[in-house]
Amino acid sequence: MVWSGGEISDFDPAAILGKRGLLDLDRSTKLFLSSVELALDDANMEINGENSSQVGLSVGTTFGVLDSYCKFQREAIINGPRYANPSLFPQTIANAPAGRAGIRFKIKGFNTTISTGMCAALDALKYACDFINSGRIHTAIAGAVEPLSIEIFAGLHTLRCLSGSDGGQGPVSCPFDKRRNGIVLSEGAVSFIAEDKAGALLRKAHIYGEILSMVSCFDPQRLYRYSPNGLGMVKAMRMALEHAEVRPKDIDCIFANANSTLEADQIEARAINEVFGDAAKKVLVTSVKSNLGETFSASGGFSLAAALGAIEKGFVPPLINYEQRDPMCVLNFALGGNPNSLPISRVMVNTFSMNGANSVAVIGKCE
Amino acid sequence: MKRRVVVTGLGVVSSIGTGHEEFWQNLVAGTSGISRVEGFDTSRHQTHYGAEIKSFDKREHFSVRKSRFIGKASRFTVACAQLALRDAGLDVKNKDDVGVSLGTTFGEAQEIEGINEVWVRRGEDKGDFRAIRRSPLDNIPSNLANILRLRGPVRIFATACSAGNYAIGYGYDIIRQGEARTMIAGGSDVFSRVSFTGFNQLGVVAPEKCQPFDKNRKGMMVGEGAGIMVLELLEDALKRRAKIYAEILGYGLSCDAHHMANPDSEGIAQCMLKAMRDAGISEKQVDYICAHGSGTRQNDAAEAAALRKIFGDRIRSIPVNSIKSMLGHAMGAASAIEAVACCLVVANDIIPPTINFETLDPDCDVDCVPNKARKKKVDIALNNGFAFGGNNSCLVIKKFEKE
Repeated sequence: MVWSGGEISDFDPAAILGKRGLLDLDRSTKLFLSSVELALDDANMEINGENSSQVGLSVGTTFGVLDSYCKFQREAIINGPRYANPSLFPQTIANAPAGRAGIRFKIKGFNTTISTGMCAALDALKYACDFINSGRIHTAIAGAVEPLSIEIFAGLHTLRCLSGSDGGQGPVSCPFDKRRNGIVLSEGAVSFIAEDKAGALLRKAHIYGEILSMVSCFDPQRLYRYSPNGLGMVKAMRMALEHAEVRPKDIDCIFANANSTLEADQIEARAINEVFGDAAKKVLVTSVKSNLGETFSASGGFSLAAALGAIEKGFVPPLINYEQRDPMCVLNFALGGNPNSLPISRVMVNTFSMNGANSVAVIGKCE
Repeated sequence: MKRRVVVTGLGVVSSIGTGHEEFWQNLVAGTSGISRVEGFDTSRHQTHYGAEIKSFDKREHFSVRKSRFIGKASRFTVACAQLALRDAGLDVKNKDDVGVSLGTTFGEAQEIEGINEVWVRRGEDKGDFRAIRRSPLDNIPSNLANILRLRGPVRIFATACSAGNYAIGYGYDIIRQGEARTMIAGGSDVFSRVSFTGFNQLGVVAPEKCQPFDKNRKGMMVGEGAGIMVLELLEDALKRRAKIYAEILGYGLSCDAHHMANPDSEGIAQCMLKAMRDAGISEKQVDYICAHGSGTRQNDAAEAAALRKIFGDRIRSIPVNSIKSMLGHAMGAASAIEAVACCLVVANDIIPPTINFETLDPDCDVDCVPNKARKKKVDIALNNGFAFGGNNSCLVIKKFEKE
C-alpha cells in the first residue's frame, strides 16, 4: 500500500485569510485564496474600487473540485437528493476557487478557469499575459491549485501511477533517477501577479522576472499515453526558444516537468538533449517535483515560482533524491553537491501533460 | 492590419437535433427539446423534466472501440467537431496551426458519478477508481485533438455556464495573435446527476417548461449538448472559397465579484460594454441579442435590467430571445450552442422565438420574440453567457462582409 503524499498537514487558512468567511469553502478554494492573499501582499498591491475592473484572474485547476463534487453526490445518493446541501453545490463546479477569489479580492476584469492538466498553470499565466499584451487589462493574477483528495489518490493507485503502488520501492519522488517508479501525489496552490512592464516600473514594484516567451502545442498520440518520441516536447521547447529569441546556450537552467515516472522522464531527457545538443552538457536541469511531488495543474506554477527564485538569488534548487544514474536520462543535473550558485539570467520551464498538451515558458531577468 | 477571424463551419449536438441544419429548422419552428428525464431515476427529486439528448447515436460517429475509451462529453465533442469540419470542408489532420479551445462545466461527470454509485452501494474499498482516468476535464480537448490529430494549442475552459463563450473568445484571440490559423472552438457538457440535484436544491428548476422573461417563469431546465464552430483566418477562408457564416468581431468578459450564484446587473452591463468596445461598435449598431435567459427569476430580471441600462428605451426595438426556452441550459455548451445560433441568425436573417411565452413581466421589459420566429435583417448580434462565480461573457458576431 502507498501511504504517503505531499499533504500540507499544517495548512492553517485562518492564519492567512482570517477566520471570517471560510465556513463554506473546500480545501482547493482555501488553498487558492491563501496563495492569492500572499501574492498580493508580496506585490504590495491593493485591489480597490478604482482598479478592480482593470485586474483579471485566471486559474489553472483540473481535479480541484473533484472532492467536493463527490461528497455532494454521495450525500445525495445516501440521504436522497432532497437532502443534498444546496450551499455546497456551487463548490462542485470547477470555477469555484476562481469565483470565490473574485468575490473575496474584488477582481472584476475577468475570471477564467483553465483545466489543461499539468500545463494548466502556464496556460493560465499565458492567458493572463495575452490579456495584458492586447491592452485589455493592465494587471492579472494568474495561479493554479490542486488539492489532495481520496478519489484521485485511489484512482491513481488503482492505475498504478503512484510510486510504490506497483509493489517495488517507494514511495519516493526521484525524477530522472533509475529507481523512479511513479509519482508521489501532492497538493498546493500558487499565484503570480503579472503586470505590464511599464506599469510595474512606474509603481516601482519589485520585479522578479520577465516573461520572454510562452508557447503551447499538442502532440497527438494514443489516448492516455505519453507520446514515445516526444515530438511535442521538442517542438514546444524549440518554439519557446525561437519566440524568446535566444539560443539553447543562452539558457542557464531548465525546470523540467519530470515527475519520477519511468516513461515521461526518459522522454523528456531525450527531448532536452535533442533540442539543446551540445549545450545540454552545460545547462543545469532540475525538477521541483523531487521536493514537492506531483501537483498536476499547480506543478508548472511551482516550477515557475522556483525559476523566478533562481533568477533572483542566483541559485538553482537541487534535484533531490537523485542516487542512481539512469543511462536513459543523461543530463547535467543540479545536484546538491554541485556549486549551483551562479548568475542566472534565462530559465526554461517545461510542462508536459500526459494527454498530449505541451506548454513551455522562457523567463529572464528583467533588464 | 487587424487579422480578421471568420466562422466557416458549424456543428451542433442538441436536444432538438444533431447537425446545424436539423438544429436550425427546429429552432425556427420553436420545437421544444424538453422531456421527462430517462437517464436516471428522478422519483426522489422535486422535478422530473430536463433537456436530455435522446436521438444521438454514437455509432454514427465512432467505431465501437474508440467510443468505449472516451467519456460521453468527449463523444459529443468529437461528433460535433466532425460535423463542423465536414460543414467547413476542411481537412485538419496533422496540421501545426490548427488548435482546440473548448468550454465545459462538469466535463466527464458521468464517469465520476459511476465511481460514486459503486462507492456508496458497495463500500469505499470496492469502488472501481480506474474511471478516474476518463474524468479530468482536459480529456475532452485532448481526445478531440488525438482523434483529429491536431498539433496546435489546446485549451479547455472550466468557467461554468459561460465556458463556451470564453472558449470561442480565446480561440479568436489565438488566431488574432498568430498562434494558429484555424481553431475548433465551442463547448460541451453532459446531463449530470449532480447538476440536476444541485439546481433542484437551489430551487431554480422549472417543473415542466422553461419560460424565459415570462412573468410566471418558474426556473431553468437542466440540459446537455455540444456546439462547435470552425474559426478561420479570413484570408485562408477566402483563398479556399469557403462558405462564411459570420465574422467574430470581439468579446468582453467581466466578473461581478459579488455572489457565487446570484447574477448582478452591473457586472453584466460592464461585460456587454467591454464586448462592444473590443469589437469597435457602438450600442446603436446592435440588431439582435441572444440572451443568457436561463428562465430563473433572478437571472432574467438582472439581464433585462442590464440591457435597459445600456440601451435605454431602444431596448424595446431590439429582439432579445432565449433559445434556452427550447434547449434548456446545456451548461458549458450553452453559450457555444447560442453562438452557433447567432451565426445562423446573421446568415439567414431569421430570429428564432422564445417559446412558452405567455405573460409580460414589467421587470423584463424586452422584446423576446415571443413564440414565433421573425424575419429581420441582422448585421450585428451579441451573445450573452453568464455563470456561477459571477462570470459574465459577451461575444460579438457580425454578418460577413468582405470590406
